[in-house]
Amino acid sequence: MTDIRPPLLEMKNISKHFGATKALDGVDFACRAGEVHAVLGENGAGKSTLMKLIAGVLQPTHGQLRVDGQDVALNTPQDALRHGLVCMFQELSLVPDLTVRENLLLGAPGAGLGWLRGTGLSDAQDVLNRIGGDQIKMGARVADLTLPQRQQVEIAKAIMKKPRLLILDEATSALSASVVDRVFELVREARDGGTAVLFISHRFHEVEALADRVSVFRNGQRVETFLKGAHDYGEIIDMMVGQKIEELFPQKPAGLSNAEVVLDVRSFSWEDRVKDVSLSVRRGQIVGLGGLDGQGQGAFLMGLFGLLRKADGTTAIAGQTSDITSPKVAKHQDIALAYVPEDRKTEGLILDQSIQENLELAALGRTDLDAGDAALYSGSLDQLALKHGGLDLPVSSLSGGNQQKVVLAKWLALKPRCLLLADPTRGIDVKTKTQIYAILRQLADQGTAILLLSTDYEELIQLCDETHVFFDGAIVASLKGAELTPQNIIAATLNVATNEAARHA
Amino acid sequence: MRSAITLDSLMPFFGVVVLILAGSVFFPQVLSAGYLTQQLQIAAFLGLLATGATIVILLGHIDLSVPWVLTGAAILSTALVGTGNPVLSAIAVPAALAFGALIGVINAMGVAILRIPSMVWTLAVNSMLLGLAVLNTGGFNPKGQSSPLMVAMASGDILGLPISFLVWIAISLILGYVLTRTPFGRYLRSIGFNEKATFLSGVSTPSVLFVAFAIAGMCSALGGVMLAGYANQAYQSMGDPFLLPTIAAVVIGGTSILGGRGGLFGTIGGALFITLLTSILSVMQIDDAWRNIIFGVIILAMLLFQTLRKGAVA
Repeated sequence: MTDIRPPLLEMKNISKHFGATKALDGVDFACRAGEVHAVLGENGAGKSTLMKLIAGVLQPTHGQLRVDGQDVALNTPQDALRHGLVCMFQELSLVPDLTVRENLLLGAPGAGLGWLRGTGLSDAQDVLNRIGGDQIKMGARVADLTLPQRQQVEIAKAIMKKPRLLILDEATSALSASVVDRVFELVREARDGGTAVLFISHRFHEVEALADRVSVFRNGQRVETFLKGAHDYGEIIDMMVGQKIEELFPQKPAGLSNAEVVLDVRSFSWEDRVKDVSLSVRRGQIVGLGGLDGQGQGAFLMGLFGLLRKADGTTAIAGQTSDITSPKVAKHQDIALAYVPEDRKTEGLILDQSIQENLELAALGRTDLDAGDAALYSGSLDQLALKHGGLDLPVSSLSGGNQQKVVLAKWLALKPRCLLLADPTRGIDVKTKTQIYAILRQLADQGTAILLLSTDYEELIQLCDETHVFFDGAIVASLKGAELTPQNIIAATLNVATNEAARHA
Repeated sequence: MRSAITLDSLMPFFGVVVLILAGSVFFPQVLSAGYLTQQLQIAAFLGLLATGATIVILLGHIDLSVPWVLTGAAILSTALVGTGNPVLSAIAVPAALAFGALIGVINAMGVAILRIPSMVWTLAVNSMLLGLAVLNTGGFNPKGQSSPLMVAMASGDILGLPISFLVWIAISLILGYVLTRTPFGRYLRSIGFNEKATFLSGVSTPSVLFVAFAIAGMCSALGGVMLAGYANQAYQSMGDPFLLPTIAAVVIGGTSILGGRGGLFGTIGGALFITLLTSILSVMQIDDAWRNIIFGVIILAMLLFQTLRKGAVA
């Protein structure tokens, strides 16, 4: 580790202010060629700002960037690209209406105003094949791809630029465990070839698996940089939040198997995507839905909320069979379902409207509630500790974690009998996750049935009382109690029969 | 909470004041009460159309069927009055409004159910209405006349204020209340910003689209009825010159063409501004070609000013 060459990238006393907010405050940071450097911190700690400075999207208020020991000014993303600094942002940067091929060629070196050159395309196709994206067609419109597929295209796009420094900002947040493994293999290969990698992730096991060095940020400052393994999980969390978090996940209650059934679904099917799914959620239970991406678990949740046409099967809420044909029907007080969609920015919230208006949107249609009553929201907002500068500010002014709190509070105002959640903690910092876990468990204790789709198997194990794993549209395993282990979940997601006992009949 | 009167929506009112002051330098009679009340009377026709257009544009859609809904309503109402039958004469105005609502519902069907872009669907509806009108009248100006009610609405006055203006303001007030104080208004803006998120919040977005397009159709139809009252007849293509000024009035009034942002207060200013601009340019007896160029330049300048101001804030 005693490298006498200057670091590939060095930042000296960097500050970035947005008005009165100091997103970064006097940060020194360096990244060497041939290392994977993980950057950890809560939302709002300054990680994304740091990455945007490196990518040339933002310019520092004070301080100096150096590449190979030379002072540089990165005024545009093109400047950064010229120095080999390539960023894959957590907000997907693909053009939805163009094809995969066109997106890959956008901004490719030498494209400019001249002819498009397809030379990089075969590399991109190789990368896609290696990370499990072989079924993505080059001619497909990006808008028609699933979220994970789009992330795979983003990764291919970044790698085909042959970066010297590759920034992965929540690059794998929508990908399932097996695809993540393949992406990591590729990243390690790039590292061994001398590429520096900056890696941002909220999933600790990913950092554990990939990083060589770790830097922790908090409130716009770098707290510490250390070799992986120098600090354990608990110590790192303490560094990130600046205080002790005793338990990430709340305690599971015992003996729920006799409680009354709140949500009972029988033989739910939809086209070829969901096949004969039956499950029930009892009072007080949090039931998990796992599986690789696109195995029907997402469609199943949407179907319960009345978003799919021609779905078969019966749904009973609190013993009453209900025909749920639209979200409007689903949220009616007689049924009281709530659905937190996968993409909070485009499906969960109206970013241009104020926090208050977003909070009221679901309650407005309920005749038994007064949507203007602040008391409907204040309880859950207090409990979730929403950080905001005023409820009349646009919801887009909030950080990702706080936006998700608004989505939750908006639905909790309706006092749902059953809460359907599609990956609610994706791309969210540890502290917010803990707050969300706590409120979910508390809701469950108060009698709300909770159905939680998650791509993070720690949630499926630690938070859920029972987890159903989907494969090819059907439930292939239902795990509870001692059966809930990472091995069993992974085996089930791949549909390999390592544990016959856990197989669904 | 949210204020209906924003700086954007005040802009056209400043523009109106500037126009009046600048116009009065060349033509002192611009400042006379007679001229100004006449402008209010004429602005009401454009204003009613723009009121309906605002509602559709807030949704993030557009209604290009305005010209022939207007013409159709005018033909229908004058034809009913022209029969001489007192019952048919009495229902002329309600029938024209029902016609507007019906076309609005047809517009909404294409947009909400068939999911065809409103720009294409409403243009096709406009074209079909044109065809129907020609089939019906053989291409000649339709026979018929206006009822006293229609004439009064277009040309009468109460306490010196034109009735057309009062009708326009009353409808703006009612719809303004609906837009700012009811769930329907909230849904309308929410759909304009993000239809998917609104639907996922348990809002029946198709019903909102239906109601909004129906209101817009009725506004266009009322505009047609009053124009027929003003001219004491209906004629082919009477709505054609109104389409672009209608959209310009909405946008100058600070309503985003992308949906969600804006309101009726600004539209009132926008309609007044465009009416006054047209009038002053024609009073100045400038060549038609130059008049069109100046009209375009001033509207571009207004929009550019708003865009630049927003850029400075952001």
